[in-house]
Amino acid sequence: MKQYIARRVGYSLLSLFLLSVTIFLFVRVTGDPVSLLVEPGASPEDIENIRHQLGLDQPLWEQYWHFMANLAAGDLGQSFYYRTPVLELYFQRLPHSLLLAAVAMALSLLIGIPSGILAAVRVDGFWDSAGKIFALLGLSLPSFWVGLVLILFFSVYLGWLPSSGSGGVAHLLMPAFTLGWYFAAAHMRLTRSSMLEVLGSEYIKLARLKGLPEALVIGKHALKNALIPVITLAGINLVVMINVAVVVETVFAWPGIGRLLYEGITFRDFPVVQGVVIIGGAMIVLVNLLVDILYALIDPRIRLES
Amino acid sequence: MDGKARADAFGRRELLVLSALGLVAGAQRPAFAGSPQGQLTWAVHFSLAPTWFDPAETPGMITPFLLMYALHDAMVKPMPGNAAEPCLAEAWKTAPDGLSYEFTVRAGAKFHNGEPVTAEDVKFSFERYRGTSAALMKERVAAVETPDERRVRFVLKKPWPDFLTFYGSATGAGWIVPKKYVQQVGEDGFKKAPVGAGPYRFVSFTPGVELVFEAFEGYWRKIPAVKRLVFKVVPEEATRLAALKRGEVDLAYSIRGELAEELKKTPGLSLKPVVIQGCFWLYFPDQWDPKSPWHDQRVRDAARLAIDYKSISEALTLGYSPITNSIIPDTFDFYWKAPAAVYDLAKAKKLLADAGFGNGFDAGDYYCDSSYANLGEAVLNNLQEAGIRVKLRPLERAAFFSGYSEKKLKNIIQGASGAFGNAATRLEAFVVKGGAYAYGSYPEIDTLFAEQAAELDVAKRTTMLQRIQQIVHERSVYAPIWQLAFINGVGKRVGESGLGLIRGHAYSAPYEDVTIKQT
Repeated sequence: MKQYIARRVGYSLLSLFLLSVTIFLFVRVTGDPVSLLVEPGASPEDIENIRHQLGLDQPLWEQYWHFMANLAAGDLGQSFYYRTPVLELYFQRLPHSLLLAAVAMALSLLIGIPSGILAAVRVDGFWDSAGKIFALLGLSLPSFWVGLVLILFFSVYLGWLPSSGSGGVAHLLMPAFTLGWYFAAAHMRLTRSSMLEVLGSEYIKLARLKGLPEALVIGKHALKNALIPVITLAGINLVVMINVAVVVETVFAWPGIGRLLYEGITFRDFPVVQGVVIIGGAMIVLVNLLVDILYALIDPRIRLES
Repeated sequence: MDGKARADAFGRRELLVLSALGLVAGAQRPAFAGSPQGQLTWAVHFSLAPTWFDPAETPGMITPFLLMYALHDAMVKPMPGNAAEPCLAEAWKTAPDGLSYEFTVRAGAKFHNGEPVTAEDVKFSFERYRGTSAALMKERVAAVETPDERRVRFVLKKPWPDFLTFYGSATGAGWIVPKKYVQQVGEDGFKKAPVGAGPYRFVSFTPGVELVFEAFEGYWRKIPAVKRLVFKVVPEEATRLAALKRGEVDLAYSIRGELAEELKKTPGLSLKPVVIQGCFWLYFPDQWDPKSPWHDQRVRDAARLAIDYKSISEALTLGYSPITNSIIPDTFDFYWKAPAAVYDLAKAKKLLADAGFGNGFDAGDYYCDSSYANLGEAVLNNLQEAGIRVKLRPLERAAFFSGYSEKKLKNIIQGASGAFGNAATRLEAFVVKGGAYAYGSYPEIDTLFAEQAAELDVAKRTTMLQRIQQIVHERSVYAPIWQLAFINGVGKRVGESGLGLIRGHAYSAPYEDVTIKQT
């Protein structure tokens, strides 16, 4: 088991290293951030001065070396735009992202799981078709469009909800719904397919033959197993919701990490983009690592096979 | 003649004399009758950065001045009707040899913590300044002397006629911070809790959410009318408009295109365009190559005549971007008003025919910053109609400006500049030999430019700089397109929005003049 864990940790560190190289190079391909920090036509001396202040006049390998050395010390660098440590910015935004992600996730599970169960139990029936349409819309309608339509309807026409910002429950409803709908659709589809698979298994047939009530068969025996992949996916989705709800947070002016990433990309704020991607990547790698270890603990065949 | 026109009519010398006598706005204005009341909220289209709380870090862009006009004050700064109004400086005088400038600090001017503004604060603010053009200013200033508490003298290494342009408007070097407080709290502490001498004091800042200011009743110029100013960050344009319609915010920056049309139609809301100091133009970098069609002035004239300026401005900025026919903003010192731009397609075609291009010609590439490719498309269509066939080559902003300054672009360049300065600084960069963005020059321009750089007589210098602009116009060195307008929305509660009060300034200012409508 120790060997298995050591190997998984090794793979995880390798993934993070590759991620750091990739993001470091990719952000630099987007262009020169200095051009966005001065007016067009600024003097070459001013441009060079800013480039020097930001350390962008150093060779690429030297910039990467500083980046990795600082990263090893837990320092993600200082934002070009805010001139504030990236970690400080990240933790300022984290509570907002956690709140939005938690509510959106709760909504997505509350909508996605029951509708997925209903679609599986009434397969090819009305509820299944309705569920499919719901999932299709949720996955295909762009979040910025859904968000703007909600603002137009609930804020401008009805005047019920504030159009943007944060502060109270009313501010949270539209962004959480917009973010949650997409994931509700994904959870609904996975619940449906997983439930259909479980409902066709031998132990469910036995339970029905034994004459157990249908509600008990579905609610107790089938659901427990059907939910395992849904919960696994939800865990990873939660990390995604926290870190990359870029569009929803921008449309609703929600001050979360997604918007920090958007600002980083807009202003070519390399340290911010690198920092957010690395933290988000580390969270996903960590969740995967924990899932791998838990699977190996539950099922010894996994660690023996690997 | 109204106040604004009168100020425009004054030359710098007259203003200096008047200011020294305390006759311009340096004289104390009557304070607002009551105490500050109510709150106004702005929806800002970008995230506010704490670095802008500190004038020492002013970059070469207009954005930080959005906050600086509230939180801080400058010795001299652009104000309504006056591009160089004495503010924390009650008056100043220039030495006859042009080697020093002596400012008198305004009596009674205070920082938000109650400390008086002193000459030592002025010296300290200049010396710690590290923003745009800091190296240039420090290279030319030999010493900053403080003979007493209220007098500060800038000694120059050699006469520099543009000193006041840089100190008073093009940089943040003349914006004053309290020395004792900065030393006490440190650089980071100052950004977290800035103290200035402006009309509003810092209350709170939530990154990515909002910034709150409160009226400073001890402000020397007048007591602000509005108690609280709130700046909310709303990056999405449609959301800003929705917030304005709902009354969640009172002013919304940058509402463009169809949304601006929608805003115009909404009862109770008004559209407020502000013309900024960003000029756009076409540049013909091959005009010095005798083999190029652009060497023939008739071809360059034809290109100028082929552009339907008015229609382009109407289509892209609802007609609010003025056609100034110059690469120099009309707010700059030494600006020369060019004759109105003419759109005459028939004449353009005739000029091309006279130049030997009766069937038009393949003019190569049309380079532009990709952010303004929509403008490029419109101009390109006009040129094609006249027979000047070009291919649009939008480049990412950094690549465009580096290619432009490294002189690698050919054929046609759609250039722009929003850089601060005056006509001399703009000409130096874009017209004169050796300029960062000049691909060639004309000897008579270079000679005149060298002469004006050493001229201390403002009137003579004005004549020379205006003559250069006239030559640039007559020779069609450039085909100026427009001076960009920035369109904003104003809600029904707003009395005076402050938008457009200071010429060329993109945002509401001065904030002490902003009011809420009386109901």
